[in-house]
Amino acid sequence: MIDYLNNILPELSNTCSIGDVKETDKKVLAELSKYADTKVINGGIVGTVGEGDYTLMLAAHIDEVGFVVTDIDTRGFLTVQKVGGIDLRHLPSRRVVIHGKEDVFGVFCSIPPHIKSGDETKFDDIESLKIDTLLGKRAKEVISVGDFVTYKETAAPLTDGRITGKALDNRVGVSVLLCLVRELKEKELPIKVAFTFTGEEELGCRGAGISAFSIKPDEAIAIDVTFGDGPDVNAKDCGKLCGGAMIGAAPVLCREITDKLTAVAKDKDIPYTLEIMSERTGTDADKISLTASGIKTGLLSVPIRNMHTPVEVVDINDIVSAVKILKEYILSGGIKNV
Amino acid sequence: MFDTLRTLCTLSSVSGDEKTVRDCIIEEIKDYCEYKVDALGNILFEKKGKKRTANRVMLDAHMDEVGIIITDIEENGFLRFNTVGGIEKECLLFSRVIFKNKTTGVIGNRPIHLLSAEEAKKLPLVDNMYIDIGAKDKESALKRVAPGDTAVLCGDYIESGDLILSKALDDRVGCAVLINLIKNYDEYDFCGSFSTMEEVGCIGARTAAFSLSPDFALVLEGTTASDIGDTPPSKEICCVGEGVAVSFMDRGTLYDRELYSIAINDKSIKKQTKRGTTGANNSAGIHLSKEGIRTLALSVPTRYIHSASSVCSKEDIISMYKSTEYMISAINKL
Repeated sequence: MIDYLNNILPELSNTCSIGDVKETDKKVLAELSKYADTKVINGGIVGTVGEGDYTLMLAAHIDEVGFVVTDIDTRGFLTVQKVGGIDLRHLPSRRVVIHGKEDVFGVFCSIPPHIKSGDETKFDDIESLKIDTLLGKRAKEVISVGDFVTYKETAAPLTDGRITGKALDNRVGVSVLLCLVRELKEKELPIKVAFTFTGEEELGCRGAGISAFSIKPDEAIAIDVTFGDGPDVNAKDCGKLCGGAMIGAAPVLCREITDKLTAVAKDKDIPYTLEIMSERTGTDADKISLTASGIKTGLLSVPIRNMHTPVEVVDINDIVSAVKILKEYILSGGIKNV
Repeated sequence: MFDTLRTLCTLSSVSGDEKTVRDCIIEEIKDYCEYKVDALGNILFEKKGKKRTANRVMLDAHMDEVGIIITDIEENGFLRFNTVGGIEKECLLFSRVIFKNKTTGVIGNRPIHLLSAEEAKKLPLVDNMYIDIGAKDKESALKRVAPGDTAVLCGDYIESGDLILSKALDDRVGCAVLINLIKNYDEYDFCGSFSTMEEVGCIGARTAAFSLSPDFALVLEGTTASDIGDTPPSKEICCVGEGVAVSFMDRGTLYDRELYSIAINDKSIKKQTKRGTTGANNSAGIHLSKEGIRTLALSVPTRYIHSASSVCSKEDIISMYKSTEYMISAINKL
């Protein structure tokens, strides 16, 4: 399982999925269709395994944060807007890929000190942070307004089983589902499971509602990432890396699912921690639970550090924990008989 | 030339820790000149040409680059660090770093979701930043990194048409040009230095100039180009792709006016005046050595110069090479 994850996660991280850029989607479709009856519904990928009239939907969003081009000047510099929540403070000198007619490299300008007003760059206006395309006046031949831009970063191993890369939010969740569907191969399943990969989570969980409405599951679990620990992160706001997957408990989440996830983890000695939230979860779970007449929804998260940056960090053991918990949850029939 | 530049840019050579670049340069030049390494780590060389010189000319390029140095390793496995040289502080946050033993780390911070609106507008102090190499605790971290180790921001070398995107173009461009001059220029004798610790105060070049004791010096450098975005022409300093930049003055040096005039008035090679007095380079250390040394700086215009994604033009590098050849000959006719 670890070997598979160490292989697939970097591959997923290195592809892009934003707007009409669908590299990750193609990869997921190819992998998922080896194990599940797979189709695409309104942009959302769904792979079904198992039989019966009781369906558990597992949802991982496939999209990532990035930018969209709003202007191209004559010198080949781009103005962009954010797609999702981005920390502007880390953009100067950041390398990006511009998904134009072909993929081209770019770099966010770092304004030299002699041009700055005052001592520091003001990080309140993304329009002041231009992207240098290195193309000069040829930029307009390759790039159009409306093209998407993503971080240029290649995933790499760190120490102690940890991996860094871009878009681990939420390629981690995607890798959990791909590893899980593989683990369930040739297993007798007590319920039907729909593996779904949703779009536009970073713009407000838009794809999850569409997928949930199409599938009409009896219950659903969103698989996403949450905040990992760090010296400057409050302990109550985060999960410790290598502490296991985090089982969500929140007003909007179905208590039976939370309890059952916890019970199987305890029963099978799989490491986990609880992620307790007092309001909404900020994940696809919020959207799924409100779909149609309401769907019982749970949330399982993997802690990552530096969320929404090209240097996100995850511990592979926490992904393994998530896969194992979900596997046992499914084999024990979810909350069908609870 | 660009193969050499690519190799040099890939190496890690933070000020005071230049061994990898020094070894690489020695390998390149050892069959073409006499050389020695001095007490501060500079490579000092003597290159014989076809003609002896009336005026002894020293060429200098510095081997070091800006980077970081580890100051402490915490119980939880995170590393604290300080910057070495004038690295752009705004280029540190959420960047990837690499140590000489290839250990990879990232400069972490609280994610945007957990920042107040005010916090999100202001860079954290370097003292509050930390490096995460993935180590689960101090013991694990110490197996890979020790306090005092240096690291650089990752920045692969990529070519896009005439432009190069890489870390450390300042001053591997100077090193690459100087290596090629040693290999290919054989009209007049010249001497010179591949110097250490420029980024922390032009340290190596001072002792190099004292040892070499030249009459004239040419400093080969990268300099800030601000031909970006909405910058008005008056603040561009110089432009990438418009030729080597020749300086009349900067914060460290009032350059020899005759050398400046000779260089800028040569119309055979594309070049530009550095239109500003920002920055400083090894000229500051060299021109005040001994009885004073007549000095000129020739610089490759470089955008985002102290970041891991600096940008310069191949044509400008060739222009620097040709200008340097021209100036060696011109100085010998003075």
